Amino acid sequence: MMSLPFLLFACGLGAGWMQRRGAALGFWAAGVLVLLVLFKLHATDALNISL
Amino acid sequence: MTPEQSKLLNGLGLIAIDTVLVLAFVDQLWFRDLPCPLCILQRVGFIAAGFGIALNLLFGPKPSHYGITILGACAGAIISVRQILLHIVPGSGEYGNAIFGLHLYSWALMFFGLMVIGTGIMLFFERQFAPETKIQQPSLLSVVALATFFLLAAGNVISTLSICGVGLCPDNPSGYLIFNDNLSITSLGNPA
Repeated sequence: MMSLPFLLFACGLGAGWMQRRGAALGFWAAGVLVLLVLFKLHATDALNISL
Repeated sequence: MTPEQSKLLNGLGLIAIDTVLVLAFVDQLWFRDLPCPLCILQRVGFIAAGFGIALNLLFGPKPSHYGITILGACAGAIISVRQILLHIVPGSGEYGNAIFGLHLYSWALMFFGLMVIGTGIMLFFERQFAPETKIQQPSLLSVVALATFFLLAAGNVISTLSICGVGLCPDNPSGYLIFNDNLSITSLGNPA
């Protein structure tokens, strides 16, 4: 699952190489979405700081 | 700034991102410093940001491509800040080797900041967005930067699969999960 955003970006680069700009942008957006979900899943501990 | 000059600068920028990702692999493979989950997500941030630069090389410079770079760098910077805050209190531990006195997550935050500043400056040069009158063949620099960037993205797929399997990564990875003899397909989806 952690490798999914890399895979999506690699697919997006492949699409870009084939001049499919819309597909490349779609893969990028999906990759960023997965990145944010994975970050939420890993940022579970409360920070020991006072703001 | 002409579109050609912009592509040259974008090519150099993508080479810089390639260099950061290569150094991350050197740290992982040569110094046996396995990346933590947040470290892996920061690598994703570099690729998300570099994606906009790659689009500039493939389709010509566009403001939306620079927007992609800024958003990707911001996503990576948020992850770096989270990791810095985890370790900012003295005695709260640290992760990985320090390089020139700073840990990789601190360096990453600086690079993400530099990318946002550099991209913001590039957006001032509006002549680069003029439509190109003739189709340009990509330069050798662009091809090398793009091919290396693609290989690094694909290499990170393999690296991350070998460390984390197909589930979430362990918080403190101690080895390559894929080389664990007791690993089964069912345990891949349920990380310890």
